[in-house]
Amino acid sequence: MSPAINPIILFFASIFTSNILLANFLGMCSFISISKDQKSSFGLGFAVTIVMTITMVASWVVLKLIIEPLNLDYLSFIIFIIVIAAIVQILEMVIDRVSPALYMALGIFLPLITVNCAILGAILFMQIRNYDFFQTLAFGIGSGAGWWLAIMLLASIRKRIDVAPVSAGLKGPGITIITIGFMAMAFIGFSGMLNVQ
Amino acid sequence: MKRDSMAYTVLFTFLVCVFFVFFLSLANESTKDRVASNRRLAERSAVLSAMGIPYTKDTIDTTYEKSVSTVKASTGELYRASVGGKNVYAQRFAGPGLWGTITIILAVDAPVEHLMGLQVVSHNETPGLGGRIDEPWFKTQFKDEKIGPQGIRVVQGSGKGDKDPNNSQVDAVTGASRTSQSMEALVNRGIDDFRKAKNEGVLQ
Amino acid sequence: MSAAKKRGKGTEVLLQNLWYNNPIFIQVLGICSTLAVTNNLTNTAIMTLGVSFATAFSSLTLSGMNKLIPNKVRMIVQVLVISFYVIIIDIVLRAYLPDISRSLGPYVGLIITNCIIMGRAEGFARSNPPLLSFWDGLTSGLGYMGVLMLIAVVRELLGFGSLFGIPILTALLGDAFTPWTIMIMAPSAFFLVAMVIWASKTIQEKAKASKQAPAGGTK
Repeated sequence: MSPAINPIILFFASIFTSNILLANFLGMCSFISISKDQKSSFGLGFAVTIVMTITMVASWVVLKLIIEPLNLDYLSFIIFIIVIAAIVQILEMVIDRVSPALYMALGIFLPLITVNCAILGAILFMQIRNYDFFQTLAFGIGSGAGWWLAIMLLASIRKRIDVAPVSAGLKGPGITIITIGFMAMAFIGFSGMLNVQ
Repeated sequence: MKRDSMAYTVLFTFLVCVFFVFFLSLANESTKDRVASNRRLAERSAVLSAMGIPYTKDTIDTTYEKSVSTVKASTGELYRASVGGKNVYAQRFAGPGLWGTITIILAVDAPVEHLMGLQVVSHNETPGLGGRIDEPWFKTQFKDEKIGPQGIRVVQGSGKGDKDPNNSQVDAVTGASRTSQSMEALVNRGIDDFRKAKNEGVLQ
Repeated sequence: MSAAKKRGKGTEVLLQNLWYNNPIFIQVLGICSTLAVTNNLTNTAIMTLGVSFATAFSSLTLSGMNKLIPNKVRMIVQVLVISFYVIIIDIVLRAYLPDISRSLGPYVGLIITNCIIMGRAEGFARSNPPLLSFWDGLTSGLGYMGVLMLIAVVRELLGFGSLFGIPILTALLGDAFTPWTIMIMAPSAFFLVAMVIWASKTIQEKAKASKQAPAGGTK
């Protein structure tokens, strides 16, 4: 049985109150390294959102048509990863064919996304929470958009921090993580906005 | 066959996949029974707790089989046991929570005037927030709680647990209003089902 | 000669993975998934043991298969091997520790995407013998475990008043103990990781500086 959450509310909740990165800790690795540069952050965030939405929907279909009817629950991890890898591969080829300009901007990030924990994590959440199709769609777009928002914000803040006087032990990842912590706290403030926990 | 040739690549990947799926299926099959028995033990211990029947980890099955029987009503299958000389009834209810399905075992006395207890079987709520419905302080509020005409109300209280069993209300989890509301709806739906069963004469 | 060399190498690997090149505070890898469960010591222990197990055995297997893997499918085979061990962990948890399996939820599956395992597979197991790769994987996992257990101690103690589920502060202070709700929520994990990074980097910098001053020698 699917939870009683309206897809629109779920969309906003995945961006603000239950942000896939700031509240669920997923997708950190590339987050920290790429946020040094605002342009790359924009590109990566965009790529993540697209991939997240497409793989989410594809995984939902695979879940309902293959995994559940055939009782292959214990193989879900591998199956989802194969779905993700396949879609990223296809996307790379399609983008390269359709728009070399877009490929220049986006293409380099795609292999990075395959091992991004946010994608697999969001899919696993979808499986555990038993979302229906529209909830899955809203959750996919919302989670991707939430990650994109977070990395854009972090990149903007880092522009200032990287030239600020920071103690040697904190320079680089240390102060970045503290910044992420403050961002997470700020986002918790959104909880009242949507009346979602 | 050269290592980088297409034929070898395909064959190799195929063999690796077959090998892994084989072993994983083996592991899955051999633990199937255990997983099923874990589930059974969890459900049985939840029923025993909700009804207030004492048990230890090793005596779940024996205590359950000795004390609990099942009866059927139009609303589903009810568990019945005799506790302190009187009949107590319990049933499993599942309802939508915030993030997933919440499944509980709710127990009432025969005239559906008091809740005997509540156990959470499974939930997917936020750990530390909505997930606190699984904590002892929250669950014991339902023990011996008087059922009001509107059922039970979950209110914003101290967050430490309502100690009054006669006010038909329990404290919500602080900071988890949606999950608390879901619990209220779920418990009251259970009470309605029990009342229906009582009108059918199933609860003696 | 080779036994003594390996022992030297083994200790070197141990020291690197536990301190000098610790996955979390030096490499800043793999903080993704496990941070989420660090508000509970028991869950953290199980998760990090799982990561250690998966890293060790994946490195062992991949190192053993080194000569057989075609280049084109290297990444896919790595992911397959890692998924294999993580699924084993998941099956074992579901059968023998069902309560913990439930509270860990999807985070067990996320061990597959944990950058540490891929990192060790790519960076070490590819060019090192199986047993040493096993040891490297195991010690990386242990280095990972140490840091996360430390964070979990702070988070569980201040957020719930307990350690491993055993009430300590609540038992000692009773109602006077007000749990630090921030410790249960996400931001605290970030701050604590940053503090660990700060502390360890500062110590390592100081050690490097004092070593270079008198002798100017190697580490």
